[in-house]
Amino acid sequence: MKRNLMLVTIVVLLAAGSALAGDSTRYGEGVTLEKAVSIERLLASPSDYLGQKVRVDGIITGVCKKRGCWMQVTDEKGNGVRIKVEDGVIVFPATSMGHTASAQGVFEGVPVAAQAKKHEGENNDVDKHEACDSKPQGEMIYFIKGTGAVIEL
Amino acid sequence: MAKARFRKTIIAVHRDVGYFFAGLTVLYAISGVAVNHVEDWNPNYTVTHTERSVGNLSAVEDSLLGAEVLRRMGIEETPKAAVRMSEKEFRVFLEDRTLHVAMPSGHVVDELVSRRSGFFHVNYLHLNHAKGLWTWFADIYAIGLLALALTGIFIITGKKGLGGRGRWLLIAGTAIPLVFLLLKT
Repeated sequence: MKRNLMLVTIVVLLAAGSALAGDSTRYGEGVTLEKAVSIERLLASPSDYLGQKVRVDGIITGVCKKRGCWMQVTDEKGNGVRIKVEDGVIVFPATSMGHTASAQGVFEGVPVAAQAKKHEGENNDVDKHEACDSKPQGEMIYFIKGTGAVIEL
Repeated sequence: MAKARFRKTIIAVHRDVGYFFAGLTVLYAISGVAVNHVEDWNPNYTVTHTERSVGNLSAVEDSLLGAEVLRRMGIEETPKAAVRMSEKEFRVFLEDRTLHVAMPSGHVVDELVSRRSGFFHVNYLHLNHAKGLWTWFADIYAIGLLALALTGIFIITGKKGLGGRGRWLLIAGTAIPLVFLLLKT
């Protein structure tokens, strides 16, 4: 009886420990870059930052509600950039909308035409497309391939 | 004698590991089916949209927009944030709820995001969103499943065991994923 009780206690403590560990607001590698680039500047001169690891700060104004595979971080002027992460590696909670966040990753751009080709043959489910693509800026779609984020909950 | 001791051991391992992980296996099975069909439904959240109008907002200053929208909607909650997304859109973020306000018409799409009860939590564990200690426990579970599979093979002896029907079922069950991989990759 005593032994069984001890076993159950260990299991419950393990579960409680796991639950506490899951409360973290750090995603992936978190944020290691000290200085953030303003989103406005990033979008105004994207070629200056392409391929570079950047950090952006702002408010979460959009999240992939199905897989948590992207979030949109927007500054106070309404300039937004999408942080796209690998499915399942980092999962942004849909309930984080409106929270302040810092995110970092490699700034990338793909031509709109190339992205459209990627979606060729898929059905026109708006929800599915929205889950993958950032809003185009002219001929290009810019996004941050996210490696980490910190969300203030 | 050694054979009897071996069988006794594998039965004990199968029994104890089986009892220990039975609950988690049920949860993971439910989550497995739920996330397999992620293309057809959202296994974690329910998202509902309701629409209404709060009237023209062109006379309201940007800094007062959030408060004014909430006042007109009769909402007393303090927003987490309010952002002017563009000339044509303003968003107010409440707890689990976002108001997408079209400017200047004041047409509001009220988006409510709720966790799908039960599923959210089992998916949280199954997809290891918890990370940290749960990763370790999930690894132990995987080892437990391996132990269940290996001991399960040898529990039954005779015609229904590995020497008879069991062998064919084992071959069939192993062949299905292999053939599938061969055809698909």
